[in-house]
Amino acid sequence: MYLSLKWLREFTPYDGSVERLAERLTMLGLEVEEITRPFVHLQNIVVGRVVETRQHPGADRLSLCRVDAGQGELLPIVCGAPNVAPDQFVAVALPGTALPDGKRITRAKIRGESSRGMICSEVELGLGEENDGIMVLDGPLVPGQDMLTVMDLDDWVLNISITPNRGDCLSMVGLAREVAVEFNLPMTLPDTRVIQDGPSCADALSITIDDPDLCPLYQAGIIRGIAVAPSPPWLRHRLLTIGQRPINNVVDVTNYILMEWGQPLHAFDRGLLSGNSIRVARAREEQSLVTLDGRTRRLLPADLLIWDAEKPVALAGVMGGANSEVTQTTTDILLECAVFNPISIRKTSRRLSLTSEASFRFERGVDQPGSRQAMNRALALIRQTAGGTVMQGIAAHEPHPWQPPRLVFRPARAKKILGVDLQPEFCRQKLAALGCAVDVQDAQAWRVQPPGFRPDLEREADLIEEVGRCHGLDRIPATLPRTARSLDWLHSLAPDTAFRKTVKHWARGIGLTEAINYSFVSSQDLALMGLDRIPAIGLRNPLSEDQNVLRPMLAPGLLQSVRHNMTQGNTTLRLFETSVIFQPDPDSETGALEPSRLGLALTGNRHPEGWPWPMEFVDFADIKGCIDHLLRHLHLPHAAYAPLDEHPICLPCAGITLGGEMAGWLGRVKSEIADHCHVRRDLFLAELDLTLVQRWHAQSRLEFKALPKFPPVRRDMTLIAPPDLALCKILEAIQAEAVDLLQEILLIDRFVPLDKPEARLTLRLTYRHQDRSLTNEEVDKTHQKLSQRLASLLPVRFS
Amino acid sequence: MPASGSDPSGQSARDLTHHLEGLVPELETVLAATASDQELEAVRVQFLGRKGRLSGIMSELPKLAPDQRPLVGQIANQIKSRLQALVDQRLSRLKQDKELKVLTYFDPSLPGLTAWQGSLHPITLVTEEICAAFGSLGFELVEGPELETDFHNFEALNLPPDHPARDMQDTFYITENTLLRTHTSPLQVRTMLRKRPPLAAIAPGKVYRRDSDLTHTPMFHQIEGFLVDTDVSMTDLRGTLTAFVHKIFEPKTVVRFRPSFFPFTEPSAEVDISCMLCGGSGQSAGAPCRVCKQTGWLEILGCGMIDPAVFTAVGYDAELYTGFAFGLGVERVAMLKYGIGDLRMFFENDVRFVSQFA
Ligand SMILES: [Zn+2]
Repeated sequence: MYLSLKWLREFTPYDGSVERLAERLTMLGLEVEEITRPFVHLQNIVVGRVVETRQHPGADRLSLCRVDAGQGELLPIVCGAPNVAPDQFVAVALPGTALPDGKRITRAKIRGESSRGMICSEVELGLGEENDGIMVLDGPLVPGQDMLTVMDLDDWVLNISITPNRGDCLSMVGLAREVAVEFNLPMTLPDTRVIQDGPSCADALSITIDDPDLCPLYQAGIIRGIAVAPSPPWLRHRLLTIGQRPINNVVDVTNYILMEWGQPLHAFDRGLLSGNSIRVARAREEQSLVTLDGRTRRLLPADLLIWDAEKPVALAGVMGGANSEVTQTTTDILLECAVFNPISIRKTSRRLSLTSEASFRFERGVDQPGSRQAMNRALALIRQTAGGTVMQGIAAHEPHPWQPPRLVFRPARAKKILGVDLQPEFCRQKLAALGCAVDVQDAQAWRVQPPGFRPDLEREADLIEEVGRCHGLDRIPATLPRTARSLDWLHSLAPDTAFRKTVKHWARGIGLTEAINYSFVSSQDLALMGLDRIPAIGLRNPLSEDQNVLRPMLAPGLLQSVRHNMTQGNTTLRLFETSVIFQPDPDSETGALEPSRLGLALTGNRHPEGWPWPMEFVDFADIKGCIDHLLRHLHLPHAAYAPLDEHPICLPCAGITLGGEMAGWLGRVKSEIADHCHVRRDLFLAELDLTLVQRWHAQSRLEFKALPKFPPVRRDMTLIAPPDLALCKILEAIQAEAVDLLQEILLIDRFVPLDKPEARLTLRLTYRHQDRSLTNEEVDKTHQKLSQRLASLLPVRFS
Repeated sequence: MPASGSDPSGQSARDLTHHLEGLVPELETVLAATASDQELEAVRVQFLGRKGRLSGIMSELPKLAPDQRPLVGQIANQIKSRLQALVDQRLSRLKQDKELKVLTYFDPSLPGLTAWQGSLHPITLVTEEICAAFGSLGFELVEGPELETDFHNFEALNLPPDHPARDMQDTFYITENTLLRTHTSPLQVRTMLRKRPPLAAIAPGKVYRRDSDLTHTPMFHQIEGFLVDTDVSMTDLRGTLTAFVHKIFEPKTVVRFRPSFFPFTEPSAEVDISCMLCGGSGQSAGAPCRVCKQTGWLEILGCGMIDPAVFTAVGYDAELYTGFAFGLGVERVAMLKYGIGDLRMFFENDVRFVSQFA
């Protein structure tokens, strides 16, 4: 909302600085975002008197003028406007002046004739849109005076952000009331008397409202014999000041009153309305209407329309119809001043994506009892600017007159909420200044009736907020509350967040970098990666097709991060992300489950670059090592890893099982996907179901094991195995032998010869007896026996 | 140098003593030429070993007259100690030389085998810092789903359908009735439905709004805090937030409360803090401050006293209980705290960005 300081001063005599006004308004909850001086450029434009004009010798359409611009000499100025004539008072831009469109005036030679300035048109001065030649001022004026002063346009404009509860402040009058309350100034409302010289309006028009809930009040006035024309300068300039485009005297007045009172008005061309009745009724099935902006609007029965005797003529409270628009030829108008149901207006305006100054105000509630004054003021102004005769009275139908809510205000309650002991007289005075009727007979519980322009004051809490706001929220002192807690808080209410925190800190500890990706991904990307078989939740109104489905796994987001980093030249990545993912679940209250996941992405160098680290690249062992390290960190048993035959993203890929449950996967990203991410080295991904890991972790107990008393005996064995024999098969076979003395098996070397399809695995077996020292002989015997068993059970031989 | 091979039968006590004493200068000479532990050990064996020179001389001892033996034996023991001392001396000298040699190649400025430095995302760092600040004030962590019902996200928070205030939070819908939460405030509702007062809780998490431009991302992070008890007033809210601001920023930061509007609080306020770059003057290094755009203030969070309608929605007695709530944007705090200028960097995960927050 734009507030003009000049306009404001018509209602309340604020004479302080604009900065102080802005500061106080902001601290009242009317946040001033910007202060501008819209016509300040006129300061550099001066009044000039055209002393003589003659034909330019070299151009038919140019005149050579000599202008007294108060510069001590007459200036030669070349002018192209046909309407320039001697003795005119005009606006002159002298050399060095910048015009609003950025053009800078310089001394120039135009077709050989020197020109020392420019005689300006309204367009060039930012004062109008129509170019009818130069602007001719009403004289007499003193040449050399600045135009800002001469035209009385030195105004400040405050751009104020209005919260949705303060529809009343979407008007000069509403903002003036706030200023008056804040600075204890008197408030004078505009004159709303209107000369009504025509026959009775009520006799000439009947109003019916089919659905009173959607339209509690409809009023109409009629003016006959008007002349539609451009508005007078003061009106045009006012509208320009607050960023409104002048159109014609009738439309400009309705816009002016909307800005002044916050009451939307609509003028119909009476001659284009059929019959003598106005009906407020819903749209019919399959109805459409061409609105003022020329667009055809398809309507639903929920939309409210204004009908004449035959047809719809306006989309109620949102926009007028093109079929009854006021034009140059209009002579009679019907002026509508109504109140519509905020919800109904909002639904229509949102569905059609059509927001107007009117709908914006109706949605926030307008002043029903005050609307008549706005109407009268508009009728008087139209009569003043467009002539005509105003018909007696108005035609009106008010099925639901406004009822002020009867509220209670307890000073003690205000103290309890605000923590400040406000003087009762202060509260009474401020509530009254805000327009409330205050009855303090019961000192403990006042009776308060808010005014019609404050529909947001519905409860005691709203009144408490008002007195707090007037006192100044910033003046409330600071204390610390006691935070009493009950025992049932001891069970964490955020176990998932806490667990993810543990994992995040583990990840940082092992040198991973955290990524946070958007929760939505593109369904098309999922399909490209073959992930569209995983059930995912789509957004009904995505911002774009790139973000139209909630991620069913972390991998797509991590791949996106990889891709971004690669394009930035970051070729070594050690990324992790912990977040929830989304799975459809019809049994859930929200329709979804949100399990936590951990995602890892590794590519590039295995070690930080440079001596003394060797130059190596990450491989499967690195990413698997991360998972094993995490499980160890969380005191969980080893996970089992087995090849997954088919995985959309990775090849090869391994599934991770934890206690028989599928807990995730890891692997090398397929080349076509890696290529798409511009990765040059192998890229490894892993994704772990943290919710499952968290459950296992919650069950795990740390338990001390007594230290062994007797020394171990170690024996190595080197097996030659076919390449497709998994290590876990060998380990399982050894464990299945249940050798009592065997405490630990460790793979200490693996060698794959280039020329033979085999792997040489060296295992170190640790033997120990709990209660005595072992002899070499008995260990050798056991070890030998075990080797022979393995050779008979597995396709292995020993070197 | 006495020849050990001379006729032993002619040995007298004097000769033996002479031989013994002769070992000392001899060993000194040999030792001076040793350069390594191995050489030294060889010399030691040569002189002091079981079959060494000393033992060789000592083996002549029985040939002496019995009355001479104790004296010579005593001298022999003294010589043995001296020889041993000489060897030990040389040993420690060699050790010292070796240590000095290590020093020659010692360059502590050479790089170490430094493991990878991991880093947490600045959002995580700031979230944890804020949660810890409120934790120290007695607020407990709570959590809830990101996909929410209209009831928890809007209706119970005094935002009925078709209320214009819903415009403030443009929403991603999943179905008619479920949506991506637009703020962390549904955690107020969920927590109050589960627990009775007194309660003080803090809820961090992702939130979503259908908005994307230079200063908005469709997903961002919020932290919601709320406290409900029988006697909570706006002064408590102000004190709590002042304490928070002083913990997270500088203790001299000024906190300003400005009236505002949120459907779920009444009164509502925006909290501004004095600009950390210009100290609230609006001017920095003689030019208009770019951080606060000359206002001297930075908007940091929204807050207010919990609206009685919210208490009614969760079944609390709105006459008995009062409380406050606040919500702050984590990205905003991180940007101010670390001087990050571009909001979109948070979700690009460029490692050159994230790793600055190691
Ligand atoms: Zn600043």
